[in-house]
Amino acid sequence: MTALSLVLILTSLVTFVAGNLILKRAMEHAAALGLSQSTTIRYLIAGTAVMAVSFFLNLGLLRQFDLSYLYPFQGLSVIIISLCAAVLLREKLTLPLMIGSLLITAGVVLVSIS
Amino acid sequence: MKKRHSNSADSAVTHRRYSLFFNPWFQIALSTAFVAASELCLKRGVMESIPASASWSWTGLAGLTSGLVWLGILLVIFSFISWLYVLKHLPLSVAFPASQVVHVLIPITSWLVLGELISMTRWCGIAFVLLGLAVMAKPAARLEEKI
Repeated sequence: MTALSLVLILTSLVTFVAGNLILKRAMEHAAALGLSQSTTIRYLIAGTAVMAVSFFLNLGLLRQFDLSYLYPFQGLSVIIISLCAAVLLREKLTLPLMIGSLLITAGVVLVSIS
Repeated sequence: MKKRHSNSADSAVTHRRYSLFFNPWFQIALSTAFVAASELCLKRGVMESIPASASWSWTGLAGLTSGLVWLGILLVIFSFISWLYVLKHLPLSVAFPASQVVHVLIPITSWLVLGELISMTRWCGIAFVLLGLAVMAKPAARLEEKI
């Protein structure tokens, strides 16, 4: 793996996490204020744009690497997203949620290395 | 929030407060099924497409010449709509780990449909993901009742 592909994998991961956080914020606004509200639409457009960047980077990476090689990085996103949701969106991280997330991450990594 | 108390024909299979289709957990399942199908289309699609110039190959844009990639994109859009619905109803820290069930769906469908073999390590991974979901599911269901 070259330094460039590592940067691309990390960028694809970061944009994926950021996209999900922005979209969650958008849907929180939608639930509270309505889907046609301008803040909701701005968040939706921003979230979709960031997810699109992640999507095309992922498509480029799929050409170079096997799906199974890219999976462990997706597994990592579970932990990163749960932590970011707790810190940035103030979601409550309970103990069963944390244990569950860790088990799922371990499972995804095991599925991908086998 | 969608509430359907009156439809008694549905009540045997529906959630207490959502009809089956509008149940966020069903939408997670739907979204992950779309993702699994799109991953297969995208992987096959990008492999058959030829990038116009080597310097842009890393963007994956060359994949747009393949019909399978477009089908994959359509499936991604469907999964995206389901996912937005899920995000509206469940916390991200619950919905996202639950969506990882896709990593169980793909090997199991390959095993059932394509007759591919699943190694012992992979079965262990599948068991871990399912165990993780089971650990999460109970408190998450309680949380959903509070919403």
